[in-house]
Amino acid sequence: MRTEKYLRLSSLFALTVLLTACVGVPAAPPAQAPAQQPAEQPAAPATSEKIKLRIASIWDAQAMENVQPVLDEYMKLNPNIEIVVENTAGSGAAIYPDILKTNIASGNPPDAFFMWGGEIAGPFIEAGQVADLTAYYAKYGWDKKYSPWTLDRITRNGKKYGVPWTARGMGFWYNKENFAKWGVEVPNTFAEQEALCAKLKAQNVYCVSIGGKFGWHTMRVLDYFLEHHCGPEKHDQLNALQIPWTDPCVVESYRTFQKWIDNGWVVPDFLTVEPNESRFPFFKGEAALVLEGDWYEGVLKNNEQDNTKYGFYIPPTDHTPLRFSTFPEQFMITKDSKYPDETAAFLDWFTSVETAKKYPKVFASSATLGTNPDCSEWPLTCAMREKILAAQSTYPPTDQAFRKELMDGFFEVQDSIVAKKITPEEGAKLMQQRVEEWKAKNKKS
Amino acid sequence: MSYRARTRIVPWLFLLPALVWYFIFLVYPMAYSFVISLTDWDGLSRTSNWVGFANYINIVFNDEVSRLALRNNVIWTVGTLLIPTILGLVLAVLLDQKLFGRTMFRTIIYSPAVLPLVAVGLIWAWMYNPQFGFINEVLKAIGLGHLARGWLSTFETALPATFVTAIWTGVGFSMTVYLAALQGIPAEQYEAARIDGATGLRLFWHITLPWLREAHVIVLSLAVISSFKVFDLIYTMTYGGPGRSTQVMGTWMYFNAFQYYHAGYGSAIAWVIAIITLTVAVPYIRHMSRD
Repeated sequence: MRTEKYLRLSSLFALTVLLTACVGVPAAPPAQAPAQQPAEQPAAPATSEKIKLRIASIWDAQAMENVQPVLDEYMKLNPNIEIVVENTAGSGAAIYPDILKTNIASGNPPDAFFMWGGEIAGPFIEAGQVADLTAYYAKYGWDKKYSPWTLDRITRNGKKYGVPWTARGMGFWYNKENFAKWGVEVPNTFAEQEALCAKLKAQNVYCVSIGGKFGWHTMRVLDYFLEHHCGPEKHDQLNALQIPWTDPCVVESYRTFQKWIDNGWVVPDFLTVEPNESRFPFFKGEAALVLEGDWYEGVLKNNEQDNTKYGFYIPPTDHTPLRFSTFPEQFMITKDSKYPDETAAFLDWFTSVETAKKYPKVFASSATLGTNPDCSEWPLTCAMREKILAAQSTYPPTDQAFRKELMDGFFEVQDSIVAKKITPEEGAKLMQQRVEEWKAKNKKS
Repeated sequence: MSYRARTRIVPWLFLLPALVWYFIFLVYPMAYSFVISLTDWDGLSRTSNWVGFANYINIVFNDEVSRLALRNNVIWTVGTLLIPTILGLVLAVLLDQKLFGRTMFRTIIYSPAVLPLVAVGLIWAWMYNPQFGFINEVLKAIGLGHLARGWLSTFETALPATFVTAIWTGVGFSMTVYLAALQGIPAEQYEAARIDGATGLRLFWHITLPWLREAHVIVLSLAVISSFKVFDLIYTMTYGGPGRSTQVMGTWMYFNAFQYYHAGYGSAIAWVIAIITLTVAVPYIRHMSRD
């Protein structure tokens, strides 16, 4: 009797598992090409039903403390909307896109997601997983709402797939008291920059602190050398793979990097140090500079540093216009979002001047024209933002110009140059080889 | 239903829940990943192209990072077969004696094995930090400052430094297996050998080692399997760097499948890892089942 009962129960259990699994098969298996794109968006449910908008982002706990009140206000204004943020904090562009991609491919995408500009966003657009926002740009007048260069950087094939929400820029951050103590001043030319490093080294102070794990922190310094040695036009052509990376200016940039290492101007053994850990020698006064962005004033405050003691400057390149590294961040709406209209309405409110004014901590780097952070509380962010929005021309960080696969080739060469495993000439050749391999591998069949 | 039919069906019905579970959560994903490995799916698009075994051919013949990763896996495997195994055996023999505090030592040595590898990797990465890491600070404190370096930032030391962490976490497991096996050796065997005049090393070679044959099979097989699956420590400690010097098959699979949008290629690497692992695992399982 007990056996029969067990068998009945086990059969029922097996059947239930089987049925559940069949119902729960992922929505986006890799069907063979050619396949049709999905049909029309499913109709949104009646407005009386509570709508749950899922937003994927990289906000850490500190950022969420500031963002949550903004979301709470929107939910209060729109009682039928619930906004849930799904965060992946900590690694920057190294891991978040992987998690997001898995989320989307599993057939359960968020309604909107945070994304950088340029090539990091490229695969999501090419895979047909994000919505073309042209209609919303027309509806909400977004073309005139945001900083023009941020719109340029998020435009792909003439279409806009995202809503810019920050305009970021990077420069050398320094401690003013330490600069005075060491008897150095903000440089105006590349030669003065190197003279500053030499003078600091003579006092046993490193010029720059870098955290090389993930590669992108080191890349910022190499990008600076490329801008200096290649000039704006060639630098852009290199990023667009329009000229070979064997160009003499690339060799010169690698040579400069090796010189900085050899001269002891960079905190040593940094290649697998976490980017966040690069701040320790800087805070301790063992290194004079870090190449960071407008967000760094927040980092200073979070680390209990007196932000009034710090300053920043745009690294001198000896070129006019003086370009520096900038990038936008955006929110994209997924193609399979059940609530694209509601998501677009939320993003329009979220990036409005009124919201930015009410929550200056969240929107200190807003890409929305007419917004300004509270300059009394955020003087450095304010000053950097002025430069970012006034810049005639800027260049993107290479990791937003290249796909991750090619970027890892760039990092491989960069690390080998830093470790002196190869000469600058060999580095340039290897980089060009990686470019050609990447082009061959990614030639669309 | 006839008795004969019942005796045929009933065992299968008992197995059914486990089989369904096994099929849905193991067999189906494995088969599906094999299908993906025969395509150029990017892991994100709704479409893909059939490429046959091109991914496998590229892994073996055209991808220099795959070959580097495989070489690193082989180095890792050889290291794992030798160091934690021998160390575990030595520790097991020592802690099998009636020593003061042996339970405490056993616990201390085994405890790293229960820690999550991600946490272990992050802690050791901090210990290796060139500026404020524990290891360099200790070297400086004991007058060996000239040996202090960026252990994980140097191409030559990054993989061995990561491997030291693997030894730290792995030695406890092999010690425990050997300890269990040592306690199963009948005392009469030693007594008889001693009567015949055997002592020290002779006892170890002719009594202890032969009796540990089963333990060797377990420790060595699992060492090879875990060596080809290594991922967590490399990912958290070096992220495959500097350059690509510490890439292993596991991380290279992850980079391709998740970061480079080559889910097909990444799945093929996963299958290469699986095939290598199965060549060790299948004889191991057969051996264990037979006994």
